[in-house]
Amino acid sequence: MSNRGTLDIRNVAKTYEVEGRQVNALSGVNLHVAPGEFISIVGPSGCGKSTLLRLIIGLDTGYQGDILLDGHRITGTSLDRGIVFQDHRLLPWLTLEQNVALALENSRLSGAERKSTVTDHIELVGLSGFESAWPHQLSGGMAQRAAIARGLVGRPGILLLDEPLGALDALTRLRLQEELVRIWKAEGVTMILVTHDVDEAIYLSDRVVVMNSTPGRIVDEIAVDLPRPRDRAGAEFSAIKRRVLSLMGEYAEAA
Amino acid sequence: MTVTTDLRMRPAPRLPRLRGVNLTGLLLPALLLALWQTATSLEWVPPVFLPSPAATAEASWTMLTRQNLHLDFLASISIVAQAFVYGSVAAVALGVAAGLSKRVEQFFGPTFDTIRHIPGIAWLPLIVLWLGIGAPAKVVVIAKSVFFPVFLNTLEGIRNAEKRHIELAEVLTLTRWQLIRRVLVPSAIPSIMVSLRYSAGLAWALVVVAEGLSGLEGIGFLIFRAQGLLLTDQLVVCMVIIGAVGFAIDRGMYLLQRHILRWKQGFEG
Ligand SMILES: Nc1ncnc2c1ncn2[C@@H]1O[C@H](COP(=O)(O)OP(=O)(O)OP(=O)(O)O)[C@@H](O)[C@H]1O
Ligand SMILES: [Mg+2]
Repeated sequence: MSNRGTLDIRNVAKTYEVEGRQVNALSGVNLHVAPGEFISIVGPSGCGKSTLLRLIIGLDTGYQGDILLDGHRITGTSLDRGIVFQDHRLLPWLTLEQNVALALENSRLSGAERKSTVTDHIELVGLSGFESAWPHQLSGGMAQRAAIARGLVGRPGILLLDEPLGALDALTRLRLQEELVRIWKAEGVTMILVTHDVDEAIYLSDRVVVMNSTPGRIVDEIAVDLPRPRDRAGAEFSAIKRRVLSLMGEYAEAA
Repeated sequence: MTVTTDLRMRPAPRLPRLRGVNLTGLLLPALLLALWQTATSLEWVPPVFLPSPAATAEASWTMLTRQNLHLDFLASISIVAQAFVYGSVAAVALGVAAGLSKRVEQFFGPTFDTIRHIPGIAWLPLIVLWLGIGAPAKVVVIAKSVFFPVFLNTLEGIRNAEKRHIELAEVLTLTRWQLIRRVLVPSAIPSIMVSLRYSAGLAWALVVVAEGLSGLEGIGFLIFRAQGLLLTDQLVVCMVIIGAVGFAIDRGMYLLQRHILRWKQGFEG
């Protein structure tokens, strides 16, 4: 098991300059994530969800506040932290298999272990038979699943998922949700999932973090204390869903 | 590839296809050949200035069997091949280096931009004084002409690598060398391939000029000698060879480009 660590986000603010104007992508963000927790982040488009993940993964260190992993400020990327980007970001000149294997380029696995774990993860996301396809030959959902395989294959301790199931059909989506829960349970990975699907967030996570925009901030956190597997149609589930939606300001429209 | 079906629209039925070769492209050459034949058999032009297709074919046979045409051909092709390999290998290596580092680019920039603007052929007289009228001088001059388009396109290609892909490399903790090999160079391959194809054609055209200007062998030498001796039939033979070989080089490079860039999906007309 690679290092999971306790993630501590303290009073983080991030501003971008767009055409001379300051955009507050994030402001006053505080979040504490225990090792092995499953957190979901929901919120309207442009509220800074992807920005927050970029800061946690270590791609951007130009922000105010602190992001601490076991008390140490995150200074760059690490194989202990994986991410599935919102755009699939497969390299167009590598086949699906090579794309997934790229995540193991600097792992300590032997050649044979690499090959078998790559094969396993391609199978896990249901892409067996497409190993040597080029990214442009994959559908949007297939490319997204390939990106999930690449995110998982290195077995990071902390996995950030930016709307990984967004482009999938309902059935594949449900199946991959089950897979995420299974992997999370089996490997004890800390998961931080950004999603637009409130049901998905509640079904999967220990806590749902609701964000809002201008400035990008965390509005509230809702603990989901339901036993797994969860009943999406259950009364408690629906009650939590109502709370999340009302926080998102959509309850009025939804009801 | 078995994964996706070919979504291109089926072309409207035009000319019959002969074992996969589209005959549309042969139409114009056939017309030109007919025109040539007519012009000579009706003697629109005196035969001494324009030999008939048959006379040209005969001259090519004579040249091949009695004058060792193939040796001249090999001399030209070998110069082009050497110049292309040296020029493009150096260009890709330095282009990658300059693409990776602004300092390397600044170091070479002014010098290269000056040398680049002196045409290869303008270098020939000086280089011939140094190296003699044999093949080496021509290899140097043509390699120089191959070098610059490939160098500039490699540099540009490296600089056009996408930020998203570089970020991915960072997330996967690729080393600098892995970043170059897995991300930056592949990003540059499309523009490198375009310049290689262009340079290969350019090199073939230049060898004809260079041989015409100096030396005692090669297709370029033959064509100017034929002019001096008023052997128009031989002159035309050389022109046809130059055209056909240029065509073959370009097609070869195109197929190579398609194969190397098979990961890329583009507009196919
Ligand atoms: N590189 C950048 N330069 C300038 N502004 C940026 C940049 N990246 C993001 N922003 C701005 O930061 C804000 C938050 O963007 P972010 O991508 O984090 O939103 P998001 O919550 O992920 O939205 P979505 O749900 O649509 O993916 C937006 O207003 C966006 O315009
Ligand atoms: Mg986003």
